[in-house]
Amino acid sequence: MLGVRALFGIGLLVTSRGGSVLTHTGACARIASNIYSKDLTHRQACTMADTIKYLGQEEAQHIDEELFDEYSFSVDQLMELAGLSCATAVSKGYPLQSLLKSPPRVLVICGPGNNGGDGLVCARHLKLFGYEPSVLYPKRPSKQLFQNLTTQCEKMDISFLTEMPEVQHKPQRSIPHRSHCRGARFISHTGYICSWDVENGCPDGIQPDMLISLTAPKKAANHFKGRYHFLGGRFVPPALEQKYQLNLPQYPGTDCVHQLN
Amino acid sequence: MFCSKEEAVAMETELLRDYGFGRQQLTEMLGHACATAITQVFPLASLEKRQPTVLVACGPDQNGCVGLACARHLRVFEYIPTVFIPKRSSDALHQDLRLQCERMDLPFLSYLPTEVQLINEAYNLVVDAVLGPETELASVGEPFTGVLQTLRGLKAPIASLDIPSGWDADESSSDGISPALLVSLMTPKRCALSFSGAHFLAGRFLPFDLQRKYELNLPKFSGTDAVVQL
Repeated sequence: MLGVRALFGIGLLVTSRGGSVLTHTGACARIASNIYSKDLTHRQACTMADTIKYLGQEEAQHIDEELFDEYSFSVDQLMELAGLSCATAVSKGYPLQSLLKSPPRVLVICGPGNNGGDGLVCARHLKLFGYEPSVLYPKRPSKQLFQNLTTQCEKMDISFLTEMPEVQHKPQRSIPHRSHCRGARFISHTGYICSWDVENGCPDGIQPDMLISLTAPKKAANHFKGRYHFLGGRFVPPALEQKYQLNLPQYPGTDCVHQLN
Repeated sequence: MFCSKEEAVAMETELLRDYGFGRQQLTEMLGHACATAITQVFPLASLEKRQPTVLVACGPDQNGCVGLACARHLRVFEYIPTVFIPKRSSDALHQDLRLQCERMDLPFLSYLPTEVQLINEAYNLVVDAVLGPETELASVGEPFTGVLQTLRGLKAPIASLDIPSGWDADESSSDGISPALLVSLMTPKRCALSFSGAHFLAGRFLPFDLQRKYELNLPKFSGTDAVVQL
């Protein structure tokens, strides 16, 4: 969820219907004209992106530990806020009315750690926002927290897939259809895709269209080339922000996300 | 849409028992939503005092827990909340939420001044999270009776969470606290039928089939909003 585990809030989304899949580039062309954020001028975006701190692995871990140990937050709490941020970012980047397929299906792929927990929360909020999420959760931890989050999704009629939906391959593109969990390896038509290192990224890895950095961006985000980089997880105590000199930008109003690019 | 005390309790029980929700989760979402409603009715730019001060009075039960989460989110939204807890709570969640507020450097009042002028001068707004629908009014004694008396005499606007403290959840009230803003949690209670101020609904997490089961007919939340004005 936070620190090293929060490289990708949800990793990626794929809308699918009857086996065909939009590549992120295809989605780009169609919806580019609808997604410009009125709140953020280009100049503001550049300034904020320049000063915000990008965390290394160790720092991210320390911040995590402090949030739980010093500030007494619980995983449940912060995970809920993180997942809400992710769903909000998705709805800003891919508004319902801009989606090409109806119903507005979204696939949420969840790994076995806290990042996957964020994904489950995100899926639930996406449902409440009017999307039709399905979840792929191949490896489920036994911890009560994750079982509860799964129950919450199931009771909201969010379907859990047993395997990846079929993907139509297009040549010369890396198809963004893989889990974001660290260490996971899947075969694509181009060979193995590695997962990103939290500081160095991974040139052969997933190339998402949107990245939601939770709490603060990680160094790997410097390698992010997608269209949307959001900051989420609006719960950082001011003293913690100052201690680590995070230079977080001002979130607009009561929004729980902030677009960095 | 307006439900009774029993229905509200039954719904919450189902959420926790059958839907897998945790109290911490729901409290966090409700606190965040209440803070959002407060910013809509009392935006920072509209506050008259030099500093955006807010007093958040939190009772020992669930209503107080939501108040504590709300105070923390108000701080994130750049208000300057001060917390007042009339009576220590034995509830573990309440204690954790209190600690989080302390760690966020929110000031705490050790007592509530009885001179209402002091409160009116110091705070732009008072958030009332003292007593909720679960309270048995007959058993309410000090320090709460004193706190309610003070709140009744305030000129500073009050924002009550779920129900105005001291109101019976099922009945209208003629001599209780008169808040400027009421934020109903999950669903409005019957007593809100007679409420005439700004009324918002928080709790955008109720599963659709639960809403249908209790025939809530809640209004639609727009976009990604956490609250909706009733």
